[in-house]
Amino acid sequence: MKVKTARLGKKGSRKARRIVQIVFFIIVAVTATGGALKEKGITIPIIPEASLHSICPFGGVVSIWQFLNVGTMVKKVHESSFVLAGIALVLALLFGPVICGWVCPFGTFQEWLAALGRKIFRKKYNTFMPAKLDKVLRYLRYLVLAWVSYMTVVTGKLVFQDYDPYFTLFNLWTGEVAITGYIALALVIVLSLFVERPFCKYACPYGAVLGVFNLFRIFGIKRNAPTCISCKACDKACPMNIKVSASKVVRNHQCISCLECTSEAACPVPATVEMLALPGQVKDTFGQKSTKSDSKAIGGDK
Amino acid sequence: MKVTYKTIGILVVASFVVGIGAAELSGLWKTESTKEPVTIKEGEFAGMPNPSDIRGSYTWSDVAKAFGFDVNLALKAFGASDPLVKVNTLESIYEGASLPEGAEIGTDSVRLFVSLLTGLPHTSEESTILPFSAIEVLRAEGKASSDLIEEAAGRAYKPGAAGEAATAAPAASVADSAADARPAAVVSSIAPAAAKTTATAEPAAAQAVTTPVPSSSVAQASTTTTVHTPSPTKTGVEGTGEGAAPGTITGKTTFKEIKAWGLSEEQIKSVTGGEIGNDIAAIRDWVVSKGLSFSEIKAKLQEMLDAR
Ligand code: SF4
Repeated sequence: MKVKTARLGKKGSRKARRIVQIVFFIIVAVTATGGALKEKGITIPIIPEASLHSICPFGGVVSIWQFLNVGTMVKKVHESSFVLAGIALVLALLFGPVICGWVCPFGTFQEWLAALGRKIFRKKYNTFMPAKLDKVLRYLRYLVLAWVSYMTVVTGKLVFQDYDPYFTLFNLWTGEVAITGYIALALVIVLSLFVERPFCKYACPYGAVLGVFNLFRIFGIKRNAPTCISCKACDKACPMNIKVSASKVVRNHQCISCLECTSEAACPVPATVEMLALPGQVKDTFGQKSTKSDSKAIGGDK
Repeated sequence: MKVTYKTIGILVVASFVVGIGAAELSGLWKTESTKEPVTIKEGEFAGMPNPSDIRGSYTWSDVAKAFGFDVNLALKAFGASDPLVKVNTLESIYEGASLPEGAEIGTDSVRLFVSLLTGLPHTSEESTILPFSAIEVLRAEGKASSDLIEEAAGRAYKPGAAGEAATAAPAASVADSAADARPAAVVSSIAPAAAKTTATAEPAAAQAVTTPVPSSSVAQASTTTTVHTPSPTKTGVEGTGEGAAPGTITGKTTFKEIKAWGLSEEQIKSVTGGEIGNDIAAIRDWVVSKGLSFSEIKAKLQEMLDAR
């Protein structure tokens, strides 16, 4: 059977994700712009107005401690963040970090840059990072999460704002961005031309929170080994460089539930890589033991 | 059950639509802070809005509505013109003004103004001062005692006074209000009983303040406390956070700090009603969130500290 390359064909199904991503990007961009304009005393009819912080579920996550202990929210965070964090939590329990793969506008932005990087470097794109360095850096986002959480608890303020490329992207013109934010955004833009979703992989604190749900999500990515032809199309398609071909069940903490590896997209064999219910399956799906490459990989399946 | 692109796409969008819709219907969907300050839970002013909870994101009109006064009074007081502008713009308005070093006209000035206008209690930061235009409004309309208003007048900023705060208050009223203070401290009370306490000051201290105090030093190191309790904060140079004298409770003091200064958890709980905030929480934030009066609790805790 001729194997299609990961990025060709089956566009119809994948379009669903693209559409959802674009819709959320527009909603967030318009809302945040409306919010920033309102701050400056300008109101445009019809345009929803809310600050970026009030529509970011991560604000809800970092506010939990203060809310439970002091009864107040972290400055600039509002009840809406709790609502969004709740929705994200339910979705993550069911499907893993779909917020990262389907909703987050900054993930979408990095994917657009990835398209450019892919045009420049073709098949070499997203293969530049030395494996050893990559392996260590994948845990950096947990350090970022720990630092952000600690500092937010201590100061009661959104300390990450000054370093957040996501905040910077949607507030470029508002004068609210610290120089460190501009540096972070520039860094992400440059890196995205070489590596897919560098911020998600190495630095996003909310990605770190949601990533943990990969370990026990109800629906997950399964590879049906008996029908697999080991073409590795799934590996090439995965933006997070997860070795799906070496896994029976993807439990990697970096999976973003984008479905790019599935038989609906990259995998050329029907019903071979799919998102299915994983009742009680933490490691093996088809009764096989983990391979050597499994244990070498981050999260046991890369 | 197989989950496809279509399934996830629909479920993700539906979750947000249903989740946000349900939150909207149940009143949980709030993308900005409510423009109603928390109410005072105890004491003479129980049920009244708490000036300490005024946020920078309130507009002049929000503040006037919440405290039931004519918005024009606030506009006139702070030289603002648009009632729909947020009060946190004050900082930038007065940024270029040559205020005394360490003094600030910002959101806390609005809290102080509202407190003096309505007679409701509030403890302001040591650096907070009012513009002189606010004093004029307060002298005509303020419900707080004239002592308090004149005390604020003593530290007020008069534009055009070459960076000096206007010591416009009559010397006698400054002396009265600060009678119990160590140099440069201004602590006073709305209640007559408290004023009486104020008057029973150490003569030496009273004398020290009777001589006109350089306004800039007053602005740097004093806190105006408008308390209704008969046991006002004890005398002393009140400071907050950086630059505050150790052992002096201010708006930024944390539970950890007062513990380090020697108060036990039990002593703190005896004042706060059996509860205590987390170590790193600012006492004021915690107290306000519990609907208690910071002025009262601060006064009691300070008394304990001073007694040590
Ligand atoms: S393993 Fe599959 S679903 Fe997970 S990130 Fe990689 S391509 Fe997307």
